[in-house]
Amino acid sequence: MFYTIIEQVVNGIVSGSVYAIVAVGMTMIFGVLRAINFAHGEYYMLGTFGAWFAIEYFDLPYPVAVVIGVVATAVIAVVVGNFVMQRIVGAPAEAGVLATLGVALILQNTVILAFGGSYKFFSGGYIEPVSVFGFTLAEQRILIIIVGLIVFVGLELMVTYSRMGKAMRAVSQNIECCAVVGIDVRHIALWTFILGAGLAALSGVLTAPVNVSVYGGMGELITFKTLPIIIMGGLGNVRGTFVAAMILGIAESLVATYIGLQFRDTVGFATLMLVLMWRPHGLFSAQARF
Amino acid sequence: MTPAELSAATTGRDLRLPFGIALVALACVAPLFLGNYPLHAMIIALIFLLPAHGLNLLLGYTGLLSLAQSAFFGIGAYTSALLAVYFGTPFYVNFLAAGLAAGLIALPLGIPALRLRATSFVMCTLGFVIIGQAIAKNWISLTRGDMGLAAIPKPYFALGPASFAISGTVGFYYLVLTIAAIATLVAYLIVRSPAGRNMIAIRENETLAESVGIPIWYYKLIVFMISAAFAGLGGSLYAHYLTVVSPLTFQMYYSTTMLIIVLGGGAGTISGVIFGSLLFVGLTEALRVAPELRMIAYGFFLLGLVFWFPSGFAPLIGRFWSFLEKRK
Repeated sequence: MFYTIIEQVVNGIVSGSVYAIVAVGMTMIFGVLRAINFAHGEYYMLGTFGAWFAIEYFDLPYPVAVVIGVVATAVIAVVVGNFVMQRIVGAPAEAGVLATLGVALILQNTVILAFGGSYKFFSGGYIEPVSVFGFTLAEQRILIIIVGLIVFVGLELMVTYSRMGKAMRAVSQNIECCAVVGIDVRHIALWTFILGAGLAALSGVLTAPVNVSVYGGMGELITFKTLPIIIMGGLGNVRGTFVAAMILGIAESLVATYIGLQFRDTVGFATLMLVLMWRPHGLFSAQARF
Repeated sequence: MTPAELSAATTGRDLRLPFGIALVALACVAPLFLGNYPLHAMIIALIFLLPAHGLNLLLGYTGLLSLAQSAFFGIGAYTSALLAVYFGTPFYVNFLAAGLAAGLIALPLGIPALRLRATSFVMCTLGFVIIGQAIAKNWISLTRGDMGLAAIPKPYFALGPASFAISGTVGFYYLVLTIAAIATLVAYLIVRSPAGRNMIAIRENETLAESVGIPIWYYKLIVFMISAAFAGLGGSLYAHYLTVVSPLTFQMYYSTTMLIIVLGGGAGTISGVIFGSLLFVGLTEALRVAPELRMIAYGFFLLGLVFWFPSGFAPLIGRFWSFLEKRK
């Protein structure tokens, strides 16, 4: 029984890593743009579709497909960023919600229109199981955990030491003063957004071999799981979001095993409601900023 | 005041009233020249008008963006369906019970939710929809889960010994038209009352409103409940029209549709919401070929509303009125 719990926790860490990669992107976008990106899950979906397309139609190997998926999504993110996200800077809160909702509808339905609404089969990826410390895991899952850690460490380093990272922190703290010091806020906003979308896409392509089925509506579920994570982690708080993502992943895994699979997708929002009643500013922030 | 109201106030609604009457008259005789499918689209638009009025009161007049209309819509639909299927109660009981249930459930939900700041509040309302759907899916003993409740009887009315059932699209159209008209009247009365002005004050400047003595907390809560009740009533109509309810009634799609109706028509005006509903009908009709195309159009609509028409199309209507009035 102990073994089963550990196994479920490990599974939870895998899904937690997936959520974490997506969520840190979304929370950074919020930090800089002050907008909840309702379309974030769609970039996850686009990355997956890009990779799937590369494998299905061009028979490319998986690593190449990963790159293609992320790059394709980044290109779309550039377009969306220029026409939509940059205009959200300085706009009232509702503007961000509605605009990203609109983008989500457009992206999701364009993909469904182009490729059909049926479930696609994702072939590719390292799904050979390996034995680690007595547990059998697909190689891909280990890859996900490793990439999750790399992303987290990489972001920490970037935000702390790089010029771009410092500018991002500045924008998330005080937009007006950024203009005073000469930071191009719109430029930072655009690149933060592209980074966030790219991370979501990366998460999508990494998870695709494990999830196997690819369909146009898969982004919406991801958005609905990431929203609770970033609020619980504290909007704009990258470390808190990472921890919250892990917690959600593990909680979902345990709930699915011991309470019922049908409740797994509700864990996120159910926990969010409880947290909002009790600690509206998130589990890790000292005071409510949003 | 919105441009539409301003022009009406200054020039004395010479043209608005006759135009409104003409519109109502047109609506009354619509079944004579509209086929079954356009009539169906009109019915859906009129049903959605109720939760749209609710959202308008909440967002347009009090300034609270909420995505929870789907949740109360679903609660109303299920309440009505459960009463009809298990107790065989007449339509007006189901209808009123739906509105009451939704409004009352909004109370324990609204109290903690309204304490939150804008962004968290929006998330919380989204949470209501998702939890609502989860409950509908999993409380199988009550709701039959994904199978939903079917064979909801058509509305019937009993007046003493006489009773008649509404069958057929045309009958339902008139029922919905009447209810929508009454709902619009109620919304209009709320908005024109001192309470309505207080709501606008809260929207414009909460702190200032509070300083003049408006109890903003109570107002927000009550408007939240009224808005929920409107949505619940709409849900009841929806349930009786489709004769089926399922967890799909709790989708975000309905919240998004109502947002488009309210924002597209012009949040903060009653006529704007009606216009938004008609717009929605037009869009649905024009793009019925591919539902995905319709959703893409919705998406572009939202973008357009955010960046180019923040007050919806109401200013355009206002300009139209002033243009006509100058022409006299």
